[in-house]
Amino acid sequence: MKLVVGQGSCGIAAGASKVYDSISKYNDGKFEMGISGCIGMCYLEPIVDVYDGNELVHRLVKVSEKDGEAIAKAASSGDFSTVSNLFISEEDSSFLSQQTRIALRHCGIIDPNDINAYINADGYSAIKKVLSSMTPEDVIEEIKVSGLAGRGGAGFPTWFKWNAARSSKGEQKYLICNADEGDPGAFMDRAVIESDPHNLIEGMLIGAYAIGASEAVVYVRAEYPLAIKRLDEAIKQAKEAGFVGEKILGSGFSCNISYKAGAGAFVCGEETALIESLEGKRGMPRLKPPFPAQRGYDDKPSNINNVETFANVPWILLNGGSAFSAMGTENSKGTKVFALTGKIKRGGLVEVPMGKTLRDVIFGIGGGIKNDRPCKAVQMGGPSGGCIPFELFDTIIDYKALGATGAIMGSGGMVVMDDSTCMVNMAKFFLDFTTKESCGKCVHCRLGTKRMYEILTRIVAGEGKEGDIELLEELCVSIKDGALCGLGQTAPNPVLTTIKYFRNEYEAHINDKKCPAKACSDLLSYRIDAEKCTGCTLCAIKCPVKAISGEKKNPQVIDNEKCIKCGNCKTVCRFGAVFVE
Amino acid sequence: MITVTINGKVCVAEEGKTILEIASANGIEIPTLCHHSSVKKYGACGICLVEAEKMPKLMRACSTVAMDGQIINTESERVIRARKTALELLMSDHDGDCKGPCSLNCPAGTDCQGYVKKIAEGDAFGAVEIIKEKLPLPASIGRVCPHPCEKACRRTNVEEPISIAFLKYYAADKVHNEGKHVVATKAPSTGKTVGIIGGGPAGLTSAYYLASKGHSVTVFDAMPKMGGMLRYGIPEYRLPKAILDKEIEEIASIGVEMKNNFKIGKDASFEEFCQKFDAVIVAIGAWKSMGVGCVGEDLEGVWGGIDFLRKVSLGEETNIGKNVAVVGGGNTAMDACRTAVRLGAENVYVIYRRTEKEMPAEKIEIAEAKEEGVTFKFLTNPAEIIGENGKAKQVKLQVMELGEPDASGRRSPVPVEGKFEILDVDTVISAIGQKVNVAGFEGLELNKKGIIVADEYTFRTNNPKVFAVGDATNKGASIAIAAIGEANKAADVVDSFLNGDVVPYVAPYVSERTVTKEMFADREVLPRAVMPCRPAEERKNDFKEVNLGFSDETAIEEAKRCLECGCHEYKNCRLIRHANRYKLNPSKFSGEKHLHETERKLVSIERNQGKCILCGLCVRVCDEVVGKGILGLVGRGFKTVIKPEFKDQGVITYCKDCHKCVDACPTGALKFINE
Repeated sequence: MKLVVGQGSCGIAAGASKVYDSISKYNDGKFEMGISGCIGMCYLEPIVDVYDGNELVHRLVKVSEKDGEAIAKAASSGDFSTVSNLFISEEDSSFLSQQTRIALRHCGIIDPNDINAYINADGYSAIKKVLSSMTPEDVIEEIKVSGLAGRGGAGFPTWFKWNAARSSKGEQKYLICNADEGDPGAFMDRAVIESDPHNLIEGMLIGAYAIGASEAVVYVRAEYPLAIKRLDEAIKQAKEAGFVGEKILGSGFSCNISYKAGAGAFVCGEETALIESLEGKRGMPRLKPPFPAQRGYDDKPSNINNVETFANVPWILLNGGSAFSAMGTENSKGTKVFALTGKIKRGGLVEVPMGKTLRDVIFGIGGGIKNDRPCKAVQMGGPSGGCIPFELFDTIIDYKALGATGAIMGSGGMVVMDDSTCMVNMAKFFLDFTTKESCGKCVHCRLGTKRMYEILTRIVAGEGKEGDIELLEELCVSIKDGALCGLGQTAPNPVLTTIKYFRNEYEAHINDKKCPAKACSDLLSYRIDAEKCTGCTLCAIKCPVKAISGEKKNPQVIDNEKCIKCGNCKTVCRFGAVFVE
Repeated sequence: MITVTINGKVCVAEEGKTILEIASANGIEIPTLCHHSSVKKYGACGICLVEAEKMPKLMRACSTVAMDGQIINTESERVIRARKTALELLMSDHDGDCKGPCSLNCPAGTDCQGYVKKIAEGDAFGAVEIIKEKLPLPASIGRVCPHPCEKACRRTNVEEPISIAFLKYYAADKVHNEGKHVVATKAPSTGKTVGIIGGGPAGLTSAYYLASKGHSVTVFDAMPKMGGMLRYGIPEYRLPKAILDKEIEEIASIGVEMKNNFKIGKDASFEEFCQKFDAVIVAIGAWKSMGVGCVGEDLEGVWGGIDFLRKVSLGEETNIGKNVAVVGGGNTAMDACRTAVRLGAENVYVIYRRTEKEMPAEKIEIAEAKEEGVTFKFLTNPAEIIGENGKAKQVKLQVMELGEPDASGRRSPVPVEGKFEILDVDTVISAIGQKVNVAGFEGLELNKKGIIVADEYTFRTNNPKVFAVGDATNKGASIAIAAIGEANKAADVVDSFLNGDVVPYVAPYVSERTVTKEMFADREVLPRAVMPCRPAEERKNDFKEVNLGFSDETAIEEAKRCLECGCHEYKNCRLIRHANRYKLNPSKFSGEKHLHETERKLVSIERNQGKCILCGLCVRVCDEVVGKGILGLVGRGFKTVIKPEFKDQGVITYCKDCHKCVDACPTGALKFINE
């Protein structure tokens, strides 16, 4: 019997370490303890998996520290009926059963700190196969057959980039992994590194072999300390085991892998800015061309792929490119990992084959909207992406189909919104992000996003003017045309798509000074329904600015001049007498 | 070699050249701000965007290597939109003055800051050279101008404005006193002829600038001498005729023909006149006085203000008697009352229906008139001029009080019912306004007030070869410098007309700062220079000039008070050049901006955040060319600024003072301080 506690960042944040310690305390030696990474069901953390041999026999969810003793006793006796209250429900089990896992195939299952766990799960057999039987051209051909495209968001064919870097003249070449995952609400890469770092290392080794690089670097966000720790450990283990370093597995192929922690600039996820940062310079994008495949890190040919892209590579090489391309659609092959967040019942990490609909993911796997409120839209691709309204949820997950909506596939962030989300405010949120994260180099992005943010700010504050929507649209077009890098060129997407699908919300803010979602506090006023009010004065007592007055046992009145719209009155009223308009 | 087509022009170039390089080698200008051939390609400004056929994205010309057979458009609608947006965005974050407020408020656009600086440097000749780019009568205008420039002067945030007008007077006199003359160089003759009717400030100005452009110019005037109102409307004690004569001689010296005692309608019909010239400028001024507008205004002894001043100037007898009442509160009223004092009147009154505060006359004029014994009857208005034997004897004054402010913001006077005052008078002078006398100019379109209609931007009348400027046009009488401003602009338009195509005057777009008094809190208080003048007791008896002029020391000290608001790089600034070329809507994207803030962290280089466009040229030049790398970009997003790296707290002494960064700056964000 073995108890495995999921210890990704999400699990730890939910208390997984304490659960682990608590169970260990009562371990009488009759069962083993272990850890794994993130299984993806973040909403159920901490999760304890019970294994009998290699077989998962029970999955205990939302475990707390105080459950430790009971779980230990159960494990010791083998009778888990005492903790059946912690068993995962059938409905929740469907969260996983509806998925197809390739990049995440080991996540939440194997121990990320143990290279042997990876090896036992077929780990490093792809690189063995490659080094023993394939030429770099064969590898690139296999990737080409697989149809694997860049999972960082742009969806550029991976084989093409590899081939370009391979064909580029130069003795020294570099392979770089982009793990500077910066989209708000995205945590796919973090989960892969925390849960299955060797898979990334193996994918990178194959890539390095294909392009002819002897140096590979992971550029990882400094905000991911656990990922860095596990990656560091994994690289050490891989070196000791002879998978990284000189003459790997006795072949003529040598490759060193290292990592570099980025200092937290979103723009460093842009490949040329990433290279600048790697070189120790300020993270600002370079002009393209030359592309990194021609002149990248240290002006040498370089290839940059995202974590998830590499995470697919060992599987493809083991199972064949055609097995991968068998999944998905005509334009988009394989699977895609998404981080499902927002107003969703079951938030977490999911991996589905291309071609599934948004509805499959959000309502099938995600279980729909929290509190069963009406669904409004989903934001795809973070600040570079766009929103897709509920009406278009039958859109399939496919680079082209998603692009046609005005949103993008993106790196995998899926933020689900219900009817309480103001779309103008949402656009403002993302513009606030891009404004702050713009590197400041090019005019269109530095000043254009700032001005868009200012216009959105005045719209949500009820100071929007006629012509503001058109001004925003005009700025959007010029910024897309004029910005230097992907960050700037895609920054208008949240604004463009919200205008496209929710223009009425913009108009309501500007013309009627109303927020249809009742989310923009400047456009709301709190009132008390005199019919319903009993005059208990609880609201008046709880009002932090003493804006509510009235005789006891008589209807209370809110002074809107004083009201700061904190909503306390509405929360405390037991009679539903406080309403917002 | 490759062949690319740019804006329809087939260009052959070496392989590997950028679009920008090929375009500029073929005389096609692609604007750019962040590009410099001495440093690596950067691509920040997004101004050099161009479009190529079959390319989905716009490309940066500075860095995109042209491909064989490419068809490129550098001015397509899409390109212009993106380029214009970039410029509009840059201007929305630009906090600087292209020109000083003095210059902007001068109707003639005189470069006040420029000539004040020359005076501060002790270079009066250089100062007059700058002045004469805009007005050819500096000694005269320096004496009489009500100087709108000074009203706009930022120095008022510290104490008082720079004495800009008197500095002009000083510089012009100094040049004359040294026996020197500043005159425009004359372009080769064009063979075109221009006839100018009216030899006042407007006519003379147009004549001077048109002659300098090589046209053959003749000025005609009805009076015996040139100068117009400067001669016949301004008393000798304010503007000595000898000074005016010198300046008119200078204008004549570049070949302007001058014909006096010539009156349209008498010596030639307007139609005949027009036939003789390729272009005609009508600058006849406003020479008719407005009547008092009450019973008795036709009595003997009732004068129009300018008629009175003209008579005195001509040396004609006036017989004004002992008691003189001047009606009006403007500068003409002041000229009239002070002239009356000098002609020996014992009691001179100024009748003005509002209070001293509302008087449009210059404060100094009012003060000097008071010193000379003029009595001001504020809040009174003539109700009737009472005559005896057809001659004015008394003025019945209606007592007034101030009511509600009117459209102009001035409180309008209202009569106090039944309250009157009687003044004994020999002469009443009405100085309440001037009208245009268009007799003889039949055929020219007039407005409702009987004033000649001229286009605001071309100065053209309804007769295509006739242009009109100054007091005789549109809004009527104004100050001399306004007429001069129009005349100078009209000279350019007429020049373009003579060259075949009328190019209207367009005021250049300039960037302006908004300032608050607090921004000047750290400035040292340096009082304004006082113009020395003759004592009242002495000067009131004669017509000799009242003012004595600045000494060199006073002038230089005064000039040094200038805050130098206008940008030192205005003439070379690439940002403002492109901004004007693309006709921006500068307030389109107005929002938060980096404020005008100067800092000196490098020994001899001052940086100004408000003017920085973050093109990074200074950073790159210091790094790539000089090899120092002192400057860097700090912060992210909108807050990004250029600073010495690592926010160095002290003054950086390892800067080589090579000021290559200053030279590379496309705007005026960097300034070399030569101490």
